[in-house]
Amino acid sequence: MKIKYIFKYLAIASIAVQLTSCTETEVEQKFDKTPTERLNAQKSELQEVLLTSPDGWKAVYFTDDKQLGGFTHLFKFTADGKVEMASDFNTTSTTKFTSEYDIQLGSTVSLVFTTRNRIHLLSDSSPSASPTTALRGKGYLGDFQFLYYGQENGQLIFKANRTAGDSTSKEIRFVKATAQDWNDISKNFLMIPNVIGSNVFGANRGVEINDGTTKKTYDFNPYTTITRFTSYSNTTSTNGVGIGYSPTGIVISPAIVVGDQKLSEFVYNSVDGSFTATGTNGVSASIKYSNTPFVVTDDYKSFLPGQPQRVLGYIAPNLTTAPTNSVLCKTLIDKINAGLPATQSLARVQIVFNNAVNGTYIQYLFNGGKATITHFVTTKENAANKTIILTDDGWTHNAATIAILKDLDAQITNPDGLYIKKEVFTFNATNRLYTLANASNNGFRITAYQL
Amino acid sequence: MKIVTKYKKIAVFVGVLTLASCAQEDQPKESQLDYNPPVKTELDTWIDTNYLVPYNINAQYKWNQNTVDNTRYLFPPTIDKVKPALEIVKQIWLASYATIGGADFVKKIAPREIVLVGGVNSNSNGTRTLGIAEGGQRITLFEVDNLNTKNRPIVAEFIHTIQHEYIHILNQTKPFDEQAWGKITPSGYTATWHLETTAASRELGFITNYARSNVVEDFAETASIILISTKAEYAAILAGITSAKARADIQRKEAIVVQYFKDTFNMDFYALRDEAEKNTTNVINN
Repeated sequence: MKIKYIFKYLAIASIAVQLTSCTETEVEQKFDKTPTERLNAQKSELQEVLLTSPDGWKAVYFTDDKQLGGFTHLFKFTADGKVEMASDFNTTSTTKFTSEYDIQLGSTVSLVFTTRNRIHLLSDSSPSASPTTALRGKGYLGDFQFLYYGQENGQLIFKANRTAGDSTSKEIRFVKATAQDWNDISKNFLMIPNVIGSNVFGANRGVEINDGTTKKTYDFNPYTTITRFTSYSNTTSTNGVGIGYSPTGIVISPAIVVGDQKLSEFVYNSVDGSFTATGTNGVSASIKYSNTPFVVTDDYKSFLPGQPQRVLGYIAPNLTTAPTNSVLCKTLIDKINAGLPATQSLARVQIVFNNAVNGTYIQYLFNGGKATITHFVTTKENAANKTIILTDDGWTHNAATIAILKDLDAQITNPDGLYIKKEVFTFNATNRLYTLANASNNGFRITAYQL
Repeated sequence: MKIVTKYKKIAVFVGVLTLASCAQEDQPKESQLDYNPPVKTELDTWIDTNYLVPYNINAQYKWNQNTVDNTRYLFPPTIDKVKPALEIVKQIWLASYATIGGADFVKKIAPREIVLVGGVNSNSNGTRTLGIAEGGQRITLFEVDNLNTKNRPIVAEFIHTIQHEYIHILNQTKPFDEQAWGKITPSGYTATWHLETTAASRELGFITNYARSNVVEDFAETASIILISTKAEYAAILAGITSAKARADIQRKEAIVVQYFKDTFNMDFYALRDEAEKNTTNVINN
């Protein structure tokens, strides 16, 4: 090609290259500010807001609401990097202690408690500090670096650093504390016996959830103080619930969801031993007592005629302190023991169902050399009431000998029959537990192992 | 137009375009990062004066998730426990090595970071990790919150940990002859050392049960036990061993340690032991 044409095309080519090489490299900005500006802004926002509450902040920290309850912490931050803390982890942690804190950049802006204080009691992995054998070496799964997610309604939203990547991990909310919160923190411990409960209030303890039109009921299972955790269950589901204390009641997590309402703050009523959370439009949830069972099951069917042999036994002393023995049951057993010589006591109340030779019979076994007394019974079903009725069919001993057992026996062989329920919890042994209750709802209920 | 003029004009045109189109860059403004140095407390100043400035060691006590194992449940020390712990470390370890090895010894061969953790580092087999030495650069000391300066066994255990971890740091910088060591008691090493007793281990030629974990731990345990025992205490340990072979094996290991210190650092190991003993007595009696 002629030189001048080469130059012409070269010139055009170089212009084209120059123009295209300077194409737009600016990326469209999603935010007004750069990431550094936004991080700095969030860091100062957090630093400032921590200092705005005159009496500091309060958080009920549920470290893992699938197995543990809530621990109330109070924080008072000062501008010099120090924080004063108190918590209801134990009776010594309610006194104030000062340590240091920092706002550090983790995966996002985070609040870090950099030297030891009350919050760190939850992440002590020394062998003696774990609440269950499953948590050995993990303490209470606590954290003390909290990622900041902003504010809502004056509350600060955090997530624990350790579990932040887990999509099911819950928020930790700091709310403004009051001077009363600081004064009253040790009152939280006064609530513990109320949560453990007592069946002077009734033979059965359950949860009643009212959605404004219908009520659903569940059994409320025995509470473990060291984990601050328990569950409520019916025939189809068992729901774990972690419990934190307040001077007037309890705070739970996970909350009880009714429609679009979440009930988590319950107030205690010392008259009937109940805890109630009230929502709007007639929605409420209540943990309460009743002599009427909260859940009636089909478990009694395993003991009806035609079933294979099964044995249920109340065994002293293993089941003597089971929380599901009602007051009436304890009274009757104590009366039997009081009527025996000092060296003897009631060892077992054992019901053998559907033995091939002897049918169904109740055995009363004793310590101290007293012979076993047996009461033969026939059994039948009341399908409508879901009960099994045991009817007298003769004793192994004469009337004088069996007199001491008559009152207790009358409960088991009462004409309305027994509710028999398989329980989800265990007590002092790994055996499956059943409770047997007088179906006239007079408050008699006894706990037995399946043997 | 003449060709050359035409192309000159095109060239100028191109040149102007180039300069104009690529001139939109923003010049960097003042930095948005916060360069203010953090406020130093009295404790921080003490650490600077006693660790950072003289030895170039960064002693850390404030929680930093990047220096610890986040799969474990650990927590930082209580503020009041930090200075006593660091004072013990300084007196028994830094001062002894500085006296025998020279003032610059620790500056050259020392971990650049000491991290203090308040809580217990529990392992799944029921044992506790008392200290970690990493890459010749960092020593992490656990259970600082359990340190009770008036309780001799607890202080002795803490000192044992420091001495043990520093031996690892020395080894990580200048290795010892692992082959020669391994030939002395080749059959006694076991992963389940925690199920053995120290007394039984001594009868097999190991100074403690932990020494049986592997050759590297054996070296560190042998050296650190000698360093924390008085001459009489160590002689008593040896005298208490009934097996003559086991006693001879431990003494052969002791000789390797002494040779290592002489050849590698030109240090008299026994003089170091005496100096450490003197400093330990000072700490415990005060």
